[in-house]
Amino acid sequence: MHRRGVGAGAIAKKKLAETKYKERGNVLAEDQIAQMSKQLETFKTHLEEFASKHKQEIRKSAQFRVQFQDMCATIGVDPLASGKGFWSEMLGVGDFYYELGVQIIEVCLALKHRNGGLITLEELHQRVLKGRGKFAQDVSQDDLTRAIKKLKSLGNGFSMIPVGGTYLVQSVPAELNMDHTVVLQLAEKKGFVTVSEIRSSLTWETERAKHVLEHLLKEGLAWLDTQAAGEPQYWLPALFSELYSRDVSPEEASQLMP
Amino acid sequence: MSFEWPWQYNFPPFFTLQPNADTRQKQLVAWCSLVLTYCRHHKIYTLDVMEAQESPIFNNKKIERKLPTEAVQIIFEELRKKGNLEWIDKNKSRCLIMWRRPEEWGKLIYQWVSKNGMTNSVFTLYELSNGDDTAKEEFHGLEEWMLLKSLQALQLEQKAEIIAFNDSKGVKFF
Repeated sequence: MHRRGVGAGAIAKKKLAETKYKERGNVLAEDQIAQMSKQLETFKTHLEEFASKHKQEIRKSAQFRVQFQDMCATIGVDPLASGKGFWSEMLGVGDFYYELGVQIIEVCLALKHRNGGLITLEELHQRVLKGRGKFAQDVSQDDLTRAIKKLKSLGNGFSMIPVGGTYLVQSVPAELNMDHTVVLQLAEKKGFVTVSEIRSSLTWETERAKHVLEHLLKEGLAWLDTQAAGEPQYWLPALFSELYSRDVSPEEASQLMP
Repeated sequence: MSFEWPWQYNFPPFFTLQPNADTRQKQLVAWCSLVLTYCRHHKIYTLDVMEAQESPIFNNKKIERKLPTEAVQIIFEELRKKGNLEWIDKNKSRCLIMWRRPEEWGKLIYQWVSKNGMTNSVFTLYELSNGDDTAKEEFHGLEEWMLLKSLQALQLEQKAEIIAFNDSKGVKFF
């Protein structure tokens, strides 16, 4: 009988073939990687070229900046990831967002005693623009959102709460859960909210509504008005529209110092 | 120039004493500041508590909110602690409002005197508060009791001496 390929020789041969395959495979893979990195390199060079060529536009135009950010996001590049990387050195975008972050913190701190650390994105936007002066580069709400996201990495101090079509920016680490957020959303239109409004809009029990409102009072985010017709109203200074355009008075500013 | 109300004046809960201690503290500070700036603007030197409650300061007709008596008393007490208010009678129904404390007025007057090189000269009280020379100064038109208090404060610092004439008073600055 002749059986092929079962002897010791055959095993050795098979092993040899396997290693050969493996080696070949490795070579192929290396080739592929080399090619890929070459492609990526080319792409990066182009993106860099593009970036340096349009540096001015990226820095100046808010709209252009959004598009550039989107472009970077699709290929997994975060130009803000580090202050030292190529992107920030090249474009100064890192500095731009850091600067913006500082300005956001300044505005939030200055108004904290009024609104308890809650502010609409629009108001924040207006005040940051005002603070930057006429000749600084334009800043969009998208830029603010990005800068705030960067601030989050400093701790849980900053967060954004979606209300209606916009956002509330929270600059104090108050514990807000879904219930609180929903109530804030309800208060967005009029600047205040009542127990029965919550009951009818959200079909909650009175207790649950009261509990949330008490919490907002406790955190200094809401003010109580007992003189309203019918039932008490809970007002959110952050959503009080007349406050919107008011400057910080000198008296208020002097209270900022702890 | 009409009085510019602070934003809180149109914020309805401003007229309800706040249950949260921190918020209430902010509220009281804002109220004190409002009372003082209002009195300063309208040159009000005395307040009758009953009248004050009906006056526009504590009574915003536009938003139909009125600060309750209890809260008004807390604010007055707060002002007294800061040295901006003094009760006239024991029942605490009338008070003197000092939007600047006597020491602050004294300082302003003394600055004016030294700037004009008139230390060592004698003034009547009327000259100081109603004379032509002081027409541009903030203390022009100051009521006599307030002026006297301010000069007494200066006297304590040995910067002035109050002299009694026949039926009026004068002051010498050092």
